[in-house]
Amino acid sequence: MNSDGWLQALAGELHRRGLDPDLSRHVVAEAATHLRDSGEPPLQVFGPPATYATAVAESVGAPQPGGGVGVARVAMPVRPPHTPGPVRLEVRGITKRYRRRPVLTSVDLTVRAGEIAAVVGANGAGKSTFLRICAGLLSPDAGRVRVHGTLGYCPQSGGTADFLYPEEHFVLVGAGRGLHRAEARAAGRAHAGALDWEPAGRTQARHLSGGTRQKLNLVMAALGEPDVLLLDEPYQGFDRGTYLDFWQQLWRWRADGRAIVVVTHLLNQLDRVDTVLDLTPAREMSA
Amino acid sequence: MDQERRGQWLRGVLDLCVLALLHRRESYGYELAQSLDASGIGPIQGGTLYPVLLRLQRTGLVSAQWREGAAGPARKYYRITPAGADTLRRTAVDWDAFASGVGTVLREVQTR
Repeated sequence: MNSDGWLQALAGELHRRGLDPDLSRHVVAEAATHLRDSGEPPLQVFGPPATYATAVAESVGAPQPGGGVGVARVAMPVRPPHTPGPVRLEVRGITKRYRRRPVLTSVDLTVRAGEIAAVVGANGAGKSTFLRICAGLLSPDAGRVRVHGTLGYCPQSGGTADFLYPEEHFVLVGAGRGLHRAEARAAGRAHAGALDWEPAGRTQARHLSGGTRQKLNLVMAALGEPDVLLLDEPYQGFDRGTYLDFWQQLWRWRADGRAIVVVTHLLNQLDRVDTVLDLTPAREMSA
Repeated sequence: MDQERRGQWLRGVLDLCVLALLHRRESYGYELAQSLDASGIGPIQGGTLYPVLLRLQRTGLVSAQWREGAAGPARKYYRITPAGADTLRRTAVDWDAFASGVGTVLREVQTR
């Protein structure tokens, strides 16, 4: 049995034992890392998948609600049992090629109200392309995206107007979402406050630091409380405190029933999201 | 060495050895296995090691975090918690007393 086959069998056995899906994913990923490091055959290192799955299930005790054993660096609020809302984002069979090179091949994703989906994958795996297709900024070669509700999109960079003040951005974007000037400013300030940012200053966007410009981007995406939020690594340039604020904000949005898609390469977040979409091409996957 | 007996001994002390290694510095599974082997305890397979790590994590004696290293893939790094360090200190003393008792008895056989 090769490593991929063994790991797949392990995932199945863990599932059969009722292990929390997040925890299972961690156990499988950790085994995959070990096998890659040691270069030894899985049967020798771990034994048969069923035996190892039993040992794992015994070590972690009964399945725990809410999940992963991975110790979070950001405290996640205790969630009531997950009750999925209506489907907000439906992605089916998205395929995209650049020149002849396939970037996305038949990608599916469903995100419901009150769920966070993380999009992961190596550089060049097509994470940003996928989000741009979801946002309607890029056409796929095949497949379909359906958004049920309103949409907010935060790009990885860009998206701000150099010569406008932050509050002018709020008014501009707010107008497109049916907010009056005062409403837009107030909503912008509220969202900025959650990221520990005071946006009232007279600083044009071009003079903001990279991290603050990303806060501005994030606030714009959130204006008008869209049902679906597409966030493309929005925390670039954030300091640690802001980064924690950002995840707290995501939990609040989720609790409010938003459907969130966030591109991340930070695996320590994965135990706290509802869905993980791994865009790493199949031939490079070991887990 | 009789592998079955070695396995029985290990079951009693592997978690302590893991805690002791993590007391030096944080580490990940494969590295821990190598350190245990290098220290003469012998090869420890992943199938034995990871359930021990999961149990230590569940009982709060170690914490874990996925992180990408300077080079190479993301790994799950384990770190001893204050509770773990406390348990380690107390149990290391107990083990010393126990092992020296066993040693004293067994040495009588050797020297006879």
